[in-house]
Amino acid sequence: MGLVRREQQPAEAKAAPSVETLLRQLDDPDPDCRREAALGLDGVAEAVPHLLARVGPETASTVRDALLTTLAAHDTTEVAEALAIHLASDEADLRTSVAEALSTMPGSVPAIIPRLIDDPDHDVRVMTAMVLADLAHPGSLTWLADMIRQDPHPNVVTAAVDALLPSLGPEHTELLRDAVRRFPDDPFLRFTVEAAVG
Amino acid sequence: MSDNRPKVLVVDDAATVRMYHTKLLDDAGFEVAAAANGLEAVEAAMSTAFDLFVVDVNMPKMNGYTCVETLRSETVGTPAPILMISTEDRPGDADRAYAAGANLYLVKPVNAERLARVARMLTSGVAA
Repeated sequence: MGLVRREQQPAEAKAAPSVETLLRQLDDPDPDCRREAALGLDGVAEAVPHLLARVGPETASTVRDALLTTLAAHDTTEVAEALAIHLASDEADLRTSVAEALSTMPGSVPAIIPRLIDDPDHDVRVMTAMVLADLAHPGSLTWLADMIRQDPHPNVVTAAVDALLPSLGPEHTELLRDAVRRFPDDPFLRFTVEAAVG
Repeated sequence: MSDNRPKVLVVDDAATVRMYHTKLLDDAGFEVAAAANGLEAVEAAMSTAFDLFVVDVNMPKMNGYTCVETLRSETVGTPAPILMISTEDRPGDADRAYAAGANLYLVKPVNAERLARVARMLTSGVAA
């Protein structure tokens, strides 16, 4: 029997970095390293405060998206409340990214929606309508209808109407017509409602 | 038949806003195309020479400020005027728009007459 040449052993798989290493890498100057760290911390509950603390200051959108992806997967009230603060951010990228992340958290976000709907900042309420547009929760349509019925700012009402449009049914016709009556000087709202219900 | 109307690209993630601004600008004599976010707008600008961009701020995938910066970058390099229209009326919003390269920043809602007037003003050198 001839000698059988042994297959060379594959290089030893590189050990996954520890949580401590990944937490350190969140502050690495290299955005790719920070992104990898953020994604690597998926499912690590102890990393949540560290990830949350970096959402606001992070300047690289790829890293911020990774932070938000990992955080959204936790879908806890702690994460939802901490992220919702950024809906009032002056930074468009941050507030829209956070709105997208919140809309993927149906387990925890519903608990904070009543507070967001009552936020004194109408821009936050507009962003809340964006969250509700994609939030997979049975209460979303009711909240949007409440915003259309009650919100005093026309931009919030039109944002809520836009969010409701894909799910619009005959039961919403009077709601939308009432909104037009509440804001008779808003041509965009009138156009939107006429386009939607005729 | 060639269309000599000034070409406008309306960029907004809200379908109703796109429809509304498209109708107003079409009625005002513009040839209008639409994009649902900044990325689509940049793609459209790479293949068509628009005479005016009407851009929202809060959009997924690429927000309005980044969209305007990209339109002004060497990659696209559009010289066309850019009008930003948003619900955001915090003190720094207009400054941010101008820093990105916008020519004008208006807060929603913008009525038909004003939009048409501003669009004509910004495209005043374009043959109609």
